[in-house]
Amino acid sequence: MILLKVFSLMIWLLVVPFCMGLLILPLLEKQQRTPGIALIGGYILQFALLELIGIPVVVYVTYNGFSTFLKIFIPALVLLALLGAALFWRRHSMENGWGFLKENQGSIYGFRKMGWEERIMLLLFLGLVAFQMYMAFTRASFDGDDAYYGVQAVVAQQVDTLYRINPYTGRSTPVDVRHALAMFPVWEAFLGSASGVHATIICHSVVPLVLIPLTYTIYYQIGQALLKKQDKHLTGSLTFLFMALIALWQIFGNVSLYTPETFFLTRTWQGKSFAGNFIIPAVIWIFLKLYEEEREKGLWVLLFCLNFAGGASSSLAVLLSCLMTVGFGLLFAVSKKRIGIFIKACLSCAGGGIYVLLYLLLTHGLLGV
Amino acid sequence: MYGIFMESLVIFKLYTGLKLLFALTLFAWIYLLITEKERRNRLMFVYAPLIIILLFLFPLSRKYFVAAGLDGETYYRVLWTIPMGIITIFGFCRLFERHRRIGLVVTAALIIFCGKYVYKSEYISKAENLYHIPDTVVKICDLIEPENPDTRASAVMPPELIHYVRQYSARINMPYGREMLVPQWKYDNAIYKAMEGTEVVDIDVLLKATRDEYCQYIVLAPGRQTEQEPEECGLVLVGEIDGYRIYEDPVSVKIVESWQEYYEDEE
Repeated sequence: MILLKVFSLMIWLLVVPFCMGLLILPLLEKQQRTPGIALIGGYILQFALLELIGIPVVVYVTYNGFSTFLKIFIPALVLLALLGAALFWRRHSMENGWGFLKENQGSIYGFRKMGWEERIMLLLFLGLVAFQMYMAFTRASFDGDDAYYGVQAVVAQQVDTLYRINPYTGRSTPVDVRHALAMFPVWEAFLGSASGVHATIICHSVVPLVLIPLTYTIYYQIGQALLKKQDKHLTGSLTFLFMALIALWQIFGNVSLYTPETFFLTRTWQGKSFAGNFIIPAVIWIFLKLYEEEREKGLWVLLFCLNFAGGASSSLAVLLSCLMTVGFGLLFAVSKKRIGIFIKACLSCAGGGIYVLLYLLLTHGLLGV
Repeated sequence: MYGIFMESLVIFKLYTGLKLLFALTLFAWIYLLITEKERRNRLMFVYAPLIIILLFLFPLSRKYFVAAGLDGETYYRVLWTIPMGIITIFGFCRLFERHRRIGLVVTAALIIFCGKYVYKSEYISKAENLYHIPDTVVKICDLIEPENPDTRASAVMPPELIHYVRQYSARINMPYGREMLVPQWKYDNAIYKAMEGTEVVDIDVLLKATRDEYCQYIVLAPGRQTEQEPEECGLVLVGEIDGYRIYEDPVSVKIVESWQEYYEDEE
């Protein structure tokens, strides 16, 4: 039974997002078509879909909101994952692959070809990540906000309603519009229901085991983009040096309760941590790539989805990712003297903009629910 | 305006903790400012952070932030858009580009020396189960959770258990929850007053308040003193778990059961 649950979780947490991410790959340049980017892209698509389906359900469905949500969300996820897998299979057989899963610069697939310095740095990094995952699984981190966010997931799973019950007391309440658009707890409830695991176990023991490596997958892309050299071994060494030090930085970044590092390792399962440690680094990674390849459609599509997907973690995340997008877009446009970058950046905030508008309408009572 | 500026400055200080780790970031930023040649990296990790800090401290930013309906207490999260970790590590990678092994040792030592170990936090303890909530809470909830999945039990809990109860079971309601434990939220609750307002619990007063809310269970913390013996006031001790005494109130139970029967008949 436990094995079945673990298998089911692997399907929903790894296989499905990965296959969804395969949909994005054809829009990216060949060297970008890596398993890591497929997984990141898949998660971005998944959270955008979560918001797209979840928000209307929260706003319009009073009773059995969670089961209604699952009836739409699960088939949509499966459909997109199958589509991604089919597309990949077709392209693979037609073009003899995309260079995917083959040797990518500095990737771990070339471990045997690495120099000893690269190997040591890589192993050090992997050791630090394994340590963080071990601590996430074996240590309980108390946070008062769990009485709100964690309970929202449990309420969805056990009471079948979304944001219409006061999580502190259990009494019925009007929709909590300040939080109702952030569907992260609903995603955790979905994982629990799809795998037969209690939502609190999903939050505290399962999700960190995925989100911690996922965050480092983004940092790996950032490290590669920043430290790319002509010499492949030098790139590998520097990237893994970057990764090992970033992993150490996370462990010792607890200089206050407010840093994203503190959130990353003590509140990994909360949407706000996801904002600081997935959404914001992902914006940075996309812009690092966009500066070089501003015409790459896939990156703009990802950015568009990301600016909307951020809403799953918190309303502030959408605002921050959109502000970063517009800000970087403006800086790049001025630097390159190309207004088109700024226009594209603004357009990629359209989904996020609608989210913010909806949030303002709901919180200011201009749209009744 | 000056006041808002000072508040934002305090938020910035609290965020960085004004610890040595921030000095490392500052050092790396200055190093990148002087040496980094790639335009993209200068834009993203030298100029953008400076602009963000200026905007963060600019009083109107915080005013608009709150006006937009966002929680003023989360204003510090604007600083998350400055990737201090990336700036620092990138700066040190650049500094030790040709001496990577030395760079690894020196930078790692600096991070360890200047930073604060996250797992040393007072909020982190060894997990007792996969839920990461105390076993005691699990046992208490298992005892009072109704068998019928469509019904709810209502229980008054001691403050140290309040955060966890509904993380385990959403079928256990509480007359008050976390909102009563955060003084600045200024909530008011008669049962909370009766339960926590005095050092010694007056069971008669507490029962009057809980019966008004049809609360079926009262959980008393180990060593919690009462004016009267709970049993003498009509409560029934249904269990004692790790020192916590769990009492059932037959009066409330009866009323709640009669409702359930009524609704079952209706169906």
